[in-house]
Amino acid sequence: MGGLVRWSSKWWPGTIPLVILWAFASWVNTAPLEAELAGRSTTALNGILLDKRKISVEGRDVTLAADAFSEEGRKGAVAAIEAVPGVRRVNDETRLVPQATPFVWSAERDVVRVTLSGSAPLPSVKGKLLEAARTDLGGVEVVDQTNLARGAPTGFEQAALLLLQQIARLRDGKVAISDGKISVAGMAQELGGREAIAAALKNLPEGFSVASNEIKAPPYIFQAYKDPVAVTLTLTGNVPDNNARRAIVAASARKFLSEKVVDNLKTSLGAPSGFTAAVIPALGALSRLSTGTLVVSDREAKISGDAFYDAAPGQIRANLIKEFPQGWQLKAEITVKPAAAPVDASICQQLFSELLAKGTIRFESGRSAIDPDSAGLLDRLVEIALRCPTADIEIVAHTDGDGETAVSPALAEKRAQAVVDYLTKAGLPGGRFTAVASNSTQAVAGNDTDTGGKAKNRRIEFVVKDKP
Amino acid sequence: MIFLAIFHWSWLLVALLFGLAMGWIAVVHRGKGVSKPLARGLAALAAALVAAALAHAVPGRPGYWLDLGIMMFASYLIGCAIGSLLREKVVSNPAKPD
Repeated sequence: MGGLVRWSSKWWPGTIPLVILWAFASWVNTAPLEAELAGRSTTALNGILLDKRKISVEGRDVTLAADAFSEEGRKGAVAAIEAVPGVRRVNDETRLVPQATPFVWSAERDVVRVTLSGSAPLPSVKGKLLEAARTDLGGVEVVDQTNLARGAPTGFEQAALLLLQQIARLRDGKVAISDGKISVAGMAQELGGREAIAAALKNLPEGFSVASNEIKAPPYIFQAYKDPVAVTLTLTGNVPDNNARRAIVAASARKFLSEKVVDNLKTSLGAPSGFTAAVIPALGALSRLSTGTLVVSDREAKISGDAFYDAAPGQIRANLIKEFPQGWQLKAEITVKPAAAPVDASICQQLFSELLAKGTIRFESGRSAIDPDSAGLLDRLVEIALRCPTADIEIVAHTDGDGETAVSPALAEKRAQAVVDYLTKAGLPGGRFTAVASNSTQAVAGNDTDTGGKAKNRRIEFVVKDKP
Repeated sequence: MIFLAIFHWSWLLVALLFGLAMGWIAVVHRGKGVSKPLARGLAALAAALVAAALAHAVPGRPGYWLDLGIMMFASYLIGCAIGSLLREKVVSNPAKPD
C-alpha cells in the first residue's frame, strides 16, 4: 500500500494525454449523448397525456416543457423522465392546462365553412370533434380554432357530437355549450329541420339543458288558387301529414261547388300550430270568391280575389278572424266583382235552378243553422238574386223523412228563414223573400235508405214569383 | 452511472490503458514525483470536483463534461494502480531460469 502512495506521485505525466483524451471525448460524445437521452425521454413520455410537449437536452440535463391535463399527469411526466437512465436533472417547465370557467365550446356555420372554437378538454376529443364535423358536414370546410382547457362538464364530448349533427341541418347558425347549457340559433336548411333539431336535443346527455333554441325554419307555405276559367281549385305547398291532407282535400270538395280539386300538396314537417284549423276556414273564405288566391305562409294567411257582392268582403274578413286559431294573422285583399247585367225573372229562375242542381244548401243535422260549407253556394245565389232586383222570391225548404212529421215543417220553415236571413244580410231587401216549408211528399229522391237521397230531400228551392 | 459507463466504455478503456501504462512505468521511473503539499492540494481539488459532480452543482453540458472527466480520471487511476502493482510484482519476483 505504501508503494502505491509512493508510485502515485509519479503518475501525473499520464494526466496530460488524459486531459487531451477527455477533451476529445467530450467533443465527440456530447451530441450523440444528448440525442440518445432525448429519444429515451420521448419514449418514457409515451402514454402520458400532454399538450405542447417540448423536450430539450443539454448534457445530461433534460428540460421538459408541456401542458398537462392533471396534477398527477404533470408529476408523472417529470418522474418518468427522472427515471430515464443517464438523465441527471430534469428542469421542470410543465404547467397545467388552463381551467376554463365557464367551459365554452361552439361551432358556427356560415355559407361555406364551419368554425369550431372555444375549449376542448383533451387532444383526442378535439380531434374527434374535428373529424365528426368533417364527416357530418361533407364538403364544407371545417376550421378548428379550439384550445385545450380543463373544466369540461361530464358528457361534453357526447353533447358536442350531438350538436355537430344538428349544425349539419342548418344553413347558417351557431351551436354552443357553456358548462351544461346548450344554445342553438340559426336558419334550418329545410322545412322540418327546426323540429328535427328540437327532437334531437331531447337526447342530450344528463346534466345538459337547452338554454336557448332560436332555430328558424324557412316559411311554411300552403297555396290554393281558384281558377274560374279552368274551374279548378289547385292546392300546392305543404301539409303536415296525410290526415291533414285528406281533411283539406275533403273540405275543399265540400266547400267548392263545381271546381275540380287538383291536389299538388306534399307533406312536410314544421307546420305552424293550428295549421289545419286555419286553412279549412280560409278555404271556406276562398270558396266565397269568384276568383281568388289563398297563400298561407307560416302563421299568416293572405287571401285575395273578387267577392260576389258588396257586403261579402267585410263578412268574409270578420268570419275568418273569428275562426282563426290564436296567433294567426289575416291579410285580406278582397275586392268586389263588377255586377253582372240584370236579367228578367224567368232567366233568374233558370239560373237559380241550374245552380241548385249543382249543389244543395246544407244545414247542421236536426238544426236550422246553415252549414258553413254552403257559404260559397249561397254567395252565388245572392249574385243571381241581385240580377233580378224586381222579382220576389220564395225560399222553399223541403224536409226529409227523419223525426216526427209534426217537427219537420217547423224545422223546414226555420231553415228557409235562415236562408232568407243570409240573403238579407247580404244586402238584399228582406221584403223580396218569403220563407216556405214544404213537406216530404214532394221528395225528389227516395227517402228510405239512400242518405244522398235524404240530403237531396232536405233541399232548398228558389222559386221566382213574377210581380203581378 | 452504469448507462454512462456503457455509453463511454471505449473512452474509459483507453483511459484505463493509459493508466496501466503509466503505472507500469512509474515503478521504475527515476524522475521527480509530485511533492506532498502539491499532492494534497491535487487530492483536495479532485475531491472538490467529485463533490461538485455528486451535488449536480454544474449545470448543462459542463456538468456532463465534469462527470465524464471524473469517470475517465478514475479509470486512469485504477489503471495506474493495477499497472504499478503488476510491475512491482514483476520487479520483486523476477522469473527464475529453469
